[in-house]
Amino acid sequence: MKIKIREKVYDVKISELGDGRIKIMVDGKEFIFGEKVEEKILVAQVSLPKKDFSKKEIKAPIAGRISEIFVEEGEFVKKDQKLLLLSSMKMENEIIADFEGKVKEILIKKDQEAVAGQTLITLI
Amino acid sequence: MNKKLTIESFEKLPSTQAKAKELAGKGAVPWTVILAEEQTLGRGRKEKGWHSPKGGLYFSIILPKSQLVDLQTLTILAAFIIAKTIKENFNLEPIFIKLPNDVYFNEKKAAGVMTENVVEGKEVRCSIMGIGLNTNIDKFPPDLEKTATSLRIELGREVDNKKILVQIIKGLKEQLKTISE
Repeated sequence: MKIKIREKVYDVKISELGDGRIKIMVDGKEFIFGEKVEEKILVAQVSLPKKDFSKKEIKAPIAGRISEIFVEEGEFVKKDQKLLLLSSMKMENEIIADFEGKVKEILIKKDQEAVAGQTLITLI
Repeated sequence: MNKKLTIESFEKLPSTQAKAKELAGKGAVPWTVILAEEQTLGRGRKEKGWHSPKGGLYFSIILPKSQLVDLQTLTILAAFIIAKTIKENFNLEPIFIKLPNDVYFNEKKAAGVMTENVVEGKEVRCSIMGIGLNTNIDKFPPDLEKTATSLRIELGREVDNKKILVQIIKGLKEQLKTISE
């Protein structure tokens, strides 16, 4: 049979292999579906490197003044890299990256006050 | 005194804080104390220097992992612990504490405290408290002599640095135990 997708016509043939699997030919390319193939696909998915593209946020652990910013927007930071220095109530807190990523946005400036839980930097 | 207290003594260091950070990174246990007879780059808060000639008491403590709020309280209390130790041992008057963390004898600065933490997410990975106490210092350079003093100058005699050190650490330990519970 022929299937038309976005103005392009594909020649598709479907056949049963007899062991519960189905073979689909699309323009000469062979795709086999069934229990055994699914297993293989599953293994392939698990073994793929996991890359999390979701937004990651660096937050102020306590209220304080940002006395130093060590990174710039667009910079790639490694895990454990020093990002900010937050001075609070007699303490100097070096905020380090708990994951690697690219600095998307720096949401605070040097000498500004941050409240506890405030997002200071976003990474992607 | 608690058996877990370890004192690493050095004749001269750029900074006990820097050495403590380095040793903490290499796995030094909590309550390890880095003691120097002299510092060449002694630090106060906000990157200010701390005059650290021979005779004074300069040390940094690797603190146990604690909540940031507890460390904050301990830092504020450190100046009170120093003042209390001096008062109880030498009955020196007047001693007052200038917040954030300086101790004054007769309106001149004699001790300072700073705490530095390395924070990952909400977790404190490493915490170091540094204390500088002017004990057996005979005189200060001209730029400091009007604002700084020492126990030696105020009492007219030498004091036992080690004894004062152990009492301050003991006081800090007791306070941290109290505020963490």
